[in-house]
Amino acid sequence: MTEAALDNYEATSLTQLTLRRFFRHRMALLSIGVLALVIFSALFAPLSPYGPTEQNPSNDLMPPSLDHWFGTDDLGRDVFTRTLYGGRISIIVGLAATGLSLLVGVVVGALAGYFGGWLDNLLMRITDAFLSLPSLFVLILISTVLRDMPNSAMRNSVWIVVVVIAVLSWMWPARLIRGAFLSMRHHEFVIAAESVGVGDWRIMLRHILPNSVGLIIVQATLSVGSAIIIESGLSYLGFGVQPPTPSWGNLLATAQVYALRAPWLMIFPGLMIFITTMSVNHIGDGLRDAFDPFSVR
Amino acid sequence: MNRSKRSTIFVTLLLALVLAISACAAPPPQQATGGESAAQSDSGGQVVLIIPEEPATLNQYLADAAIVRQVADATTAGLSLVDQNGDFQPVLAETIPSIADGTVSEDFLTVTWKLRPGLLWSDGTPITSDDMKFTWEAISNPDSGAVLSNNFEKITSIDTPDDLTAIVHYSEVNSAYPMQFAYGLLPRHATGEPTEMEKWEWNRAPVTAGAFVVSEWNSGDSIVMDRNPNYYLDGQPYLDRLIFKVVPDPGAQMAMMIQGEGQVHLWPGATKEDYDVQIEGEGQLQEVPGQWNMALRFNLSQPFDDDPGATPPHPILGDLKVRQALAHAIDYDTIINDVNPGVSPATSPFAYGWYRCDIPRTYTFDQDKANALLEEAGWVLGDDGIRVASGAANAEDGTRLSLQMEGYTNFQPLVKLEEAIVEMWKAVGVEATIQNDDFSIIFGSLADGAPRKTGNFDILIYDSSLSIDPQATIAGLFHSSAIPSADNPAGSNYSRWVNADADAAIDLAGSTVDVPTRQAAYCDLAQLIDDELPQLHLYLFTEGYGATDKLSGYAVSIWGSLTWDAQNWKLSQ
Amino acid sequence: MSTYIVRRTLQAIPLLLILSVMLFALVRMAPGGPLAQAERNPNITQEQIERLRERLGLNQPFYVQYIKWARTIVLEGDLGDSIKSGREVSVMIGERIPNTLLLVGVAFLLTLCVAIPLGALSARKQYSLLDYVVTTFTFAGQSVPIYWLGLMAVLTFYVWIDNPFTGKPLFPAGGMYSIGSDKGLGDLLWHMVMPVGTLSLAWIAWYSRFFRASMLDVLNADYMRTARAKGLSEGRVLYIHALRNAVMPLVTMIALDFPSLFAGALFVETIFSWPGMGRLFWEAARGRDYPVLLGVILINAGLIVVANILADILYGVIDPRVQYD
Repeated sequence: MTEAALDNYEATSLTQLTLRRFFRHRMALLSIGVLALVIFSALFAPLSPYGPTEQNPSNDLMPPSLDHWFGTDDLGRDVFTRTLYGGRISIIVGLAATGLSLLVGVVVGALAGYFGGWLDNLLMRITDAFLSLPSLFVLILISTVLRDMPNSAMRNSVWIVVVVIAVLSWMWPARLIRGAFLSMRHHEFVIAAESVGVGDWRIMLRHILPNSVGLIIVQATLSVGSAIIIESGLSYLGFGVQPPTPSWGNLLATAQVYALRAPWLMIFPGLMIFITTMSVNHIGDGLRDAFDPFSVR
Repeated sequence: MNRSKRSTIFVTLLLALVLAISACAAPPPQQATGGESAAQSDSGGQVVLIIPEEPATLNQYLADAAIVRQVADATTAGLSLVDQNGDFQPVLAETIPSIADGTVSEDFLTVTWKLRPGLLWSDGTPITSDDMKFTWEAISNPDSGAVLSNNFEKITSIDTPDDLTAIVHYSEVNSAYPMQFAYGLLPRHATGEPTEMEKWEWNRAPVTAGAFVVSEWNSGDSIVMDRNPNYYLDGQPYLDRLIFKVVPDPGAQMAMMIQGEGQVHLWPGATKEDYDVQIEGEGQLQEVPGQWNMALRFNLSQPFDDDPGATPPHPILGDLKVRQALAHAIDYDTIINDVNPGVSPATSPFAYGWYRCDIPRTYTFDQDKANALLEEAGWVLGDDGIRVASGAANAEDGTRLSLQMEGYTNFQPLVKLEEAIVEMWKAVGVEATIQNDDFSIIFGSLADGAPRKTGNFDILIYDSSLSIDPQATIAGLFHSSAIPSADNPAGSNYSRWVNADADAAIDLAGSTVDVPTRQAAYCDLAQLIDDELPQLHLYLFTEGYGATDKLSGYAVSIWGSLTWDAQNWKLSQ
Repeated sequence: MSTYIVRRTLQAIPLLLILSVMLFALVRMAPGGPLAQAERNPNITQEQIERLRERLGLNQPFYVQYIKWARTIVLEGDLGDSIKSGREVSVMIGERIPNTLLLVGVAFLLTLCVAIPLGALSARKQYSLLDYVVTTFTFAGQSVPIYWLGLMAVLTFYVWIDNPFTGKPLFPAGGMYSIGSDKGLGDLLWHMVMPVGTLSLAWIAWYSRFFRASMLDVLNADYMRTARAKGLSEGRVLYIHALRNAVMPLVTMIALDFPSLFAGALFVETIFSWPGMGRLFWEAARGRDYPVLLGVILINAGLIVVANILADILYGVIDPRVQYD
């Protein structure tokens, strides 16, 4: 098991190796291209001749045409424009929720895995409890607590949704990181560092954490996709990003009502979620293989 | 006490007048408004009704949710009902008691009901006046758990000199006495102890006098009702079977209507225009004239200050000029014609009934006026097109003109309205956000922390309705003594509006039995509300249900439910 | 082994007790109340509502309400009565549990039957065309909201595509049985195709990815090299050693995922009008029918605990090295 210790000192070559492995994953490469396209289109959304909330109620529920590529919705808004702007919100929600859940998850997992004992027991029981709580009530509770904060940015439903998703999903990274810390806790390089008097925090930050970066990145990629999906689920139940701000989730949830009258309303945002989540997952898959030293065959 | 008693006497007189007229008239012709009249065959067949949620019970006295009546009316027959014209009609009773024929005493305290002879419960037992007595005993029992009290507590005793006659004695005048037994009778032999009412088997499989009898209840899936062989009308109901199918998803509901698997669709949540295109050739949306009045309720008091009271003023909405500007900024014609077509405009809480008062809108759509008022009130345009305070009455300089609108979830026509208003306000530099809540939150009580009760909101947007005597509701909504607080959790002056003239008008309306005086007082109040804007009334919402073209014989009624006349329905093949 | 099971079960009791306090607090702290519908009904007076609140004990302090609720459960084994319908909560849950277990159980079996071979195959042939196809297919199921998938299925197989032989819809829009049918097995299976398919499609993605990963771990492990070095046939190595070792983490995963399986069922039950527990929960949650809500959550928590114990026991069956002491 000395390779692990060596790896730590050959950071550059390891990175090169990882990159090389990643580039061998063709689907992942293709996905990066697709994802870049999605992000660019969201960034350049303002180039559209229509505004994201610009209404024309007498021109509602029109099928796709040259004027309105994705048709119009029930208030005569351009669905193409709203889908692009919705992408901004959905991607932001995905990234922010992932960041927040990873932050909590990594801290909890690292403490539990490294120190073990009663702390591990306590933190893991809390994790279990969160896993078995009815998520619906957690989310109602959080969203009302946040909303009751006067004049805060938290009254913006986007951030409420971010926090809700993070609270509902930090447990999985926590378990994963705990596992990693637990197994590395007894590796030679950690024991060696301890024996020369390196402090606990330093070992965690400087030695174990860098070795878990691969794991964390993989987890992060995969949870971006799932956060986008969760946001759309929240919208379906009425707890998502509030209108008129478009997100893919609430575009889809609203379209549900018009599924037969105007199927294009649910097809296009659905496809965007599909394409994005699919690409993110492929990239995550590529990264997982790249970071896994055994995957070279 | 005295005041409310006098007002009930007035209503009684009014009702007596109505009844005297309707009693003179011949029995009503069966009015069929739906579809072309079907062939004279004895119809038969089954109708599948798509309902979005399952009723918890079929006992209307226990029910708080609207869905219960929509289903339970198919299996209910009372002594009387209100028809689509607003007139009382006898059902199980021979006639509606009235002063004219001596069945109502001069002091209104004794009412004699006569049952039609030969009536049978669905299990074949005779329906007797003792069942009427039992119904009163059960509902008025404080431990029964009944929520629909329907004035039963005002009855002191019921005499049953014979099986068909019941003499009802009231302790005080019940202005709604013709409706006393309109929600159905409870059979003494087939129910149970009144104190156990919530647990009666009867609630889900009622032995009934109604047109249909529950034959199967598949929890969460469907309720099957077959025709009641002992129904009082010969040859009716025409249909053999009703199947209420619970389908929660609106898309799936629509799909079943299009494929002809459902014949009736309760509350589609779509405008007639949108709906009819979808099931073209199969059926169309039947609009029920609405009594739901859609309005914006402005919070005039500071939110989030741990004080539900009227002071200090709301930093933005506390200023009348701002409210006027918000009213001027709304394009009412667009809302009524394009956003939610099919609704009818309303400018006051008194939009129907004998207290109806149509006043012209004080602040009509005028963006220039809106802008001018906002400037005048000290709100100047910021860099991003949203106004900020600069010398405003109640807000510190630099405060953004940003407001949150709260409604309830899962109702697309409301969301459309909110989104349209947000856009209209944006045009005059007002930022509005939407936060829709679960039904149980927005209409919760003070103890539940409901925003409207605690005063922690900017603007509420939802629809509400008035009953035949609006005094209690109106006093609750607009009287300064009705601001909700820990001492007065039942108060419903959610706008925290304090206006001496309004209080006077409300008090006046409650202190007299004179119709013109009350109407005038309500109209004064309506004008005050439209001038001072604690609430801004928008339109009367139209409820509806989709029905296949094959179905005929039905009539839509503002007073009835989906199934109130199910005994008249016919199906053509 | 049996003492182990007894001990684990005994350990679960305090856990459930603590959980019950937490759940009660959570449900009661969440804003909203069961009387909102009554507040909106102009025919129901405020006095009537206050009387009802008292009758339901909603005006008592939380701890009194909790003790009352917990005592009835522990002493009488009674989950109480629904506020809305007055029916016994246990009866209501009893009506729905079999439906959900049927839906989730069949979908889950189908998922495992597809996911394990798929995962194993794509691990074996990593980076082959087959691997890419399998990966893409499995990701697809994970990349769309399940309710979207469900409604698209309804549109496609109920509205847009008819059965070419009968001219009727290919599959029913929802429910467990045809309206007015005699509830035969064939009818049930026909109604299960779309909800089971939708649910499985989402799960197959997740489990086959997971299985592929643990298969890869195992295939590259030292003892596999040893096994190969000993000259065992590749098939034997793969199917006896590798599969068995790769299934272990899967078992844990399943136990952990148990609660979210039911959550996924909520969406599918709603779209396909399936009368299951998920919808009972959602309806009770929206109406704040506290006894029903707490009953459903508690039963669910109990199921999770049982699932965890089962997972531990299964470990022993799969891997004889695991000792129960």
